[in-house]
This record gives sequence, C-alpha cells and structure tokens, in this order.
Amino acid sequence: MTAIMRPYEAVYIFDSALEDGVIAEKLAKHHGLLSLAEEATLDHWGRRQLAYQINKRDTGYYIVARFTTETTKLPEFERSLKLDDGVMRYLISLHEHELGAPPLTEEQLEAKRRADEAGDDDDDED
Amino acid sequence: MARRNKKPSPVNEAGIRFVDYKDERFLSRFITENGKILPSRLSGVDARHQRQLALAIKKARYLALLPYTRSSKA
Repeated sequence: MTAIMRPYEAVYIFDSALEDGVIAEKLAKHHGLLSLAEEATLDHWGRRQLAYQINKRDTGYYIVARFTTETTKLPEFERSLKLDDGVMRYLISLHEHELGAPPLTEEQLEAKRRADEAGDDDDDED
Repeated sequence: MARRNKKPSPVNEAGIRFVDYKDERFLSRFITENGKILPSRLSGVDARHQRQLALAIKKARYLALLPYTRSSKA
C-alpha cells in the first residue's frame, strides 16, 4: 500500500512565556514525528497580542508551518501537540488552495493604495 | 429596472483567489463591531466568497486572531 501524501498548513500558538530556544526545540521535536522528506517551511510571526485570553495569557508565540506528509503520521503528531503544555493552540488544515491574494511588492502596494484613493468616487454613479 | 447596478464583490476586487484565515486585517472588514460575521447582503460579497469568509473567520477566531465577541469589553 502506498502512503498518501498531503500538503498541510499548521498554525501553532506557543506559550509566550517560553524562551525562543525552547520553542524551537519543542517544534523540532513535534515535527520529528512527521518524518518529513523535506524540511517544513516555517514562518515565525513571533509574539502577538491574542484577540482574547487563552490560559490567562494575553500574548502568544505564533508559528505557521507548511509541510507535506503521509496522512497516517498525523494522529501521532496531533497527540504530541495536545500533550505539550507549551502549545496553547494549534490548527492543522489541508493546504489545498493558494490562500489569499498573490503577494504584492511594496511598490505595487503603494501604487494600489494611491489608485484606491483616486478611484473611490467613480463607482457610485448611476 | 430601477435596480442599482450590482457593486463588484469586495473579495474579488482585492484580487483574492481563496480567502486566507490568517489575514485578520482583511477578515476584520467582514465582521461587525461586536465580532459577528457581516451578512453578504450588507457587504456585497458573492456567495462563494461568503462561504469561504465564514469558514476563514471561524478559523481565525479559534486562533485568537479575531474575537468571538467584543461586547463584554468596554
């Protein structure tokens, strides 16, 4: 039986009281369970304000990870995340779609902002 | 006859293919002050994107990027 590989995106919220080194260590440990062929793409958002308190904390350390792994590896992986007290929240979702808008360069963003301001009044004509 | 021309969907306008649950600044345009999901009748979002938005907002709430409610706060 060939293993089914799927692309996933996971967001972790670590306890912000942990040190960066500890967080990286924990993350490596969890990702170790996935036996990834390719290194996961990590995006560290760092410490952020939470929209509401979780475990009586106002901030959390956010990490977004993308990886492709066998579907059978996930239960074990989730179990270890659940047991880890340092992980306040996590969300694993299939990464099937290209999310959001295609990334714009800073200049494009600036140009768009100007165009938006200039073009605002033209829409409402009947 | 006197029906107004439909406004373009704000999601399409932003050039978004699939709504991203991590983009809380974009999502926050589609919730009310209290944190409720804005009905598409008010925001003008087409049905396909409204479904994506609803799911994305719920995911964002779970990740504490958006509030479930703001009414309890001052």
